[in-house]
Formats: sequence, structure tokens, C-alpha cells
Amino acid sequence: MAPAILYIGALVGYPFFLAIYLSMSNADVSTSGLGRFVGVDNFLALFESSVFFTALRNTLMFTAASAVLKALLGTTLAFLLAENLRGTRIFRFLIVLPWTVPIALSAIAWKWMFDTQYSIINWLLHAAHILKPFEMPNWLGEPTLAIMSIIAVNVWRGFPFSAIILLAGMTAVPQEIVDAATVDGAGPVTRFRKVIVPMIAPILFVGSLYDLVFTLTDMTVVYLLTLGGPANSTHVLSSYAFLVGVQSGALGRGAAIAILLFPILLVVVFFVLRSLRRRDI
Amino acid sequence: MAVTVATPWVSRATRARHIRKAVLVYAGLTFYAVLAGLPIYWMVITTFKPDRDLYNLQNFPLWFNQNGVTLDHLALLFNKTGFNTWLKNTVWVALGVVAVTLAVSVPAGYALARLRFRGAESLTIGIFLTYLVPTTLLFLPLVKVISFLGLFDRLQSLILAYPTFTIPFCTWLMAGFFKTIPIEIEEAAMVDGCSRVGAIPRVVLPLSLAGILTVAIFAFTLSMQDFVYALTFVSSSDQKVVTIGVVTELIRGDVFFWGSLMAGALIAGIPVAILYSFFLDYFVRGITGGAVK
Repeated sequence: MAPAILYIGALVGYPFFLAIYLSMSNADVSTSGLGRFVGVDNFLALFESSVFFTALRNTLMFTAASAVLKALLGTTLAFLLAENLRGTRIFRFLIVLPWTVPIALSAIAWKWMFDTQYSIINWLLHAAHILKPFEMPNWLGEPTLAIMSIIAVNVWRGFPFSAIILLAGMTAVPQEIVDAATVDGAGPVTRFRKVIVPMIAPILFVGSLYDLVFTLTDMTVVYLLTLGGPANSTHVLSSYAFLVGVQSGALGRGAAIAILLFPILLVVVFFVLRSLRRRDI
Repeated sequence: MAVTVATPWVSRATRARHIRKAVLVYAGLTFYAVLAGLPIYWMVITTFKPDRDLYNLQNFPLWFNQNGVTLDHLALLFNKTGFNTWLKNTVWVALGVVAVTLAVSVPAGYALARLRFRGAESLTIGIFLTYLVPTTLLFLPLVKVISFLGLFDRLQSLILAYPTFTIPFCTWLMAGFFKTIPIEIEEAAMVDGCSRVGAIPRVVLPLSLAGILTVAIFAFTLSMQDFVYALTFVSSSDQKVVTIGVVTELIRGDVFFWGSLMAGALIAGIPVAILYSFFLDYFVRGITGGAVK
């Protein structure tokens, strides 16, 4: 018991408060020590930078869009898997691959799929006649497309998790209750919304909380696909914090960006909690 | 199963409906499998396809072409890059992380599951919540902690940093496992003359071996999923773990060694994926465990 608390205290609790301090200092990576206290200067400087606001907007949009798409794809998939037809296990293994392969490795595969010249995605879209011949979208080189690509990779990675969590909840609902609702005349949609969802609300809560936290703070996909480019248009807060804090070495300024994720995180947690609690009653 | 159990007294219409439904379900599953599997398939093709065919726009990209299959990309990966070193580093980091995690999580999980003290419940949830403190918030201050300890650009920095997320999750999992072992078994051992401390290695640990193994696998796979810490704390090639090595060292300026990149990603990624999906149910149970009391 004690060692766990000590370890967590030393390597989660302490750095957490250190992050708050660093965000108000001019510490950098190369010099030792914690820098000089500069109050809210870092934050003031951020609020004057347009890249920061782009990153903030991207973070919120990216998280919201990913959450909606993952919920849609995940829910449909959960129902398909719940049918439990023959061969479901093999399908499940294939379908959870995006979640189980380390994200850095699959993100680099996506970068190759989005290649400017040899993009397999363009090839497929040409083959399906969705793109005209010689039409070559530059997936990662054009701001709007780049954001869409980043969201797509994030959704690709996350939808199996949404499905598996939902499925775990659905199998925990006793069949008699579902049958009873059917007898009472509830259609499939009503059954899902009024019977299954309220019953598995706690599971959905933890699952979506987990997913939201990791989507909101993910920088791997952005870092590997676009490095925040073109022209800093695709940064999210975490990748921007990395750029400023580590690559430019301004640790204090970077910490200020990262710490701003925390209030957003709290707001998200609050809303998820509230919406699910309301359903619960 | 709906299709196979169709029995003679089921009307033809019902049967037709079952078949239609099965076709729809399989079509849906196939769509998802293709969506999920396509990037992995593309990795496999790229790994074994010669550059001349890979970079020829006339070729059909989804299968091998006139020049067949090659092992050149693998040869480059193993002979001309630090791939072997990265693999070895990964194993060392993984073993270190698993050791630290087990040493801390098993006793802590036991304490949370068994000892009745005030606030045990909220402490358990509190520990789980620290798992949700994102690496993004911690990596910058940890830079200072790690350089203070003189571990910057050393493998050991990762062995120290990864338990910040493996310990909370694994402690939570272990507490769940220990709760499933009836306390009566321990009490029986204590009646038979064991102390509580004696009962743990003789009775409790053998029963929770499956749990301990699961936790060890998770400590390993969760560390493999990291990118941020490895990218921040380690920059020398000979100290890199495989995930970071593959995605940073096979890109020289603007030149991407796609064949070898995909080969490395495949070799590092597939074993992790197999292990992980084997234990996925436990992971899900771990995430949702506290929710279904």
C-alpha cells in the first residue's frame, strides 16, 4: 500500500504541482534548476499567440468530432458483435487491431497511406471513381484535409475500444429484462435508449471518460502525421506544448500550455458525469 | 447462431428472415474488418515489396507485382539500423517496468482489497484516477525530475516514468482480482495456523497467478503504447526503444525508408497486438470494473 502511494506521490503528484510551478517560471530544458518565477507572463504571452488559439480550437474540435464518430461506429459495431454469429472471434481479433497495435507504429503506417505520390487511399478512391483521374488530394499538406486526416486516424484507433466497452456492458444486461421490454412493445431503438443505456450507464461513463481524456491529450497522431504543420495549422494543445517545451526548450511556456488542458479536462469530466447521472435516475 | 439452430418447425419466412439478418451482420463485420485491417495489410505488402514495384504508379498496389517478394527491407532494418539494439532496449525496459509494477501493485492491490480501513474505497478510486492524469501534463515536469536524477537520455528514465501509468492501472486490476478470492480461504489457512503474512504466499498468491500474469502483460503492453515519454526523455540512438527508434531513425531528412519503416512497425507491433487482444477482456473489465459494483 504505502509504496504505491509513495510512488504515485513522487512521480504523479509531485510533477503535477511542479507543472503548475513551471508554468509560472522561465525554466528551460538545457539549464538545470527550475528557473525564475515570472507569474502569469507565460499565460499572457500565450493569449497573444495565434498558434495557441488555433491549437485550442483544434483540440476541442478534434475531441468532439472524434467522440461523435467513435460513438457512431462503436455502437453499430457493438450490435454486430453482440449477434455472436459463427466466426465473431476472428472478426473481433481483426477489428481490435487498431486499438492493440501501438499508436506510434500505426500512425506512421497512416502517414505512408497519406503519402503525396503513392497514397493507397488515393488509389482506392480512384479505383472507386470517387476521385477524378489525376486528382491527387494532399491529405497532410492542406490544413482542412490534414485536420480531417488526423481525426480519421484517431477515430480509426478508438472505435474498437468504444465497441468493446459497449459490448461488455450489453452482455451484462440480463436477457430477461430486454425480453420483458420487447413484450411491453418496445422497439429496438427504444430498448437500447430506455433499457440498455440506463442500465450500463456507469460502464459507459468510465469508458467515455477514459477515451475523452486520452483523445483530448493525445499528441502522437499529430506529431507523426503533420508535426503541427502546414504552417502550425494542425497543432493540438499537447503537440504545441511539446514543440514549445521540448523542441524549443522553453519548458515553462510549454508547461503553461499543458496545464491549460487541465481545466478543459475538468469541464469534460463534469459534463460527462452530469449527463450520465441524469440518465441514471 | 441464429442460422444454424433453424429447426424444421420454424416457418420458411422466419428462416429467410434469419438468413437475411445473418448476411447483413456478416456484411457489416466485413466492412469493419477491412476498415481496421487495411493499414495493417498495407504494412505487410510494403514490407515485402521491392522498391522498384513500390514506387511504380502503374502497378496494382494491393498485391505483389512483376518483381515478386523481397527481404531487402528486413535486411536493411536488421543490418543497417539500430533495430536489434532497440529490440534489446525494449525488452530491458519492459522487464524493468514489469518488475517495478509488480513489486508495487501486488501488495497495494491486496491491501486495497482486504484491509478494512476508513476511506479504502475512495483511495481505490483515487488511485485509478491518477491513471487518467495524462502524460501530456506530466512529461514536461518529469524532464526536470529525470535530469535531476541524471537519467536524461538513458533507458532507466523510461523504467522510472512508465510505472506512473502502469502502477495505478495494475493496482486497480490486482485489487479486483484479490476481491474475487473468497476471504474464507484465507481465514481457513489462518485457522490452520498460518499468520496473515504466512497465508499470502501459501494461499493467496498461487490463486491469483492468473491475475499477476495479466498485470505483467499489461505493464508490458501499456509501456509499448507510449510515445511521448520515449520521445522526450531519450534521444541517442543506442538508448531508444523500438517504437521510437522505428519512427525516428528510418526517416532521414525528407527520405522515408517506407519498406523498412513498415517492416519495423510490423515486427514491433504485431506481437504486442496479439498479446493485448488476448488479454483485452481483462483490460475492459479493469476499465469498467469499478463501475459494476
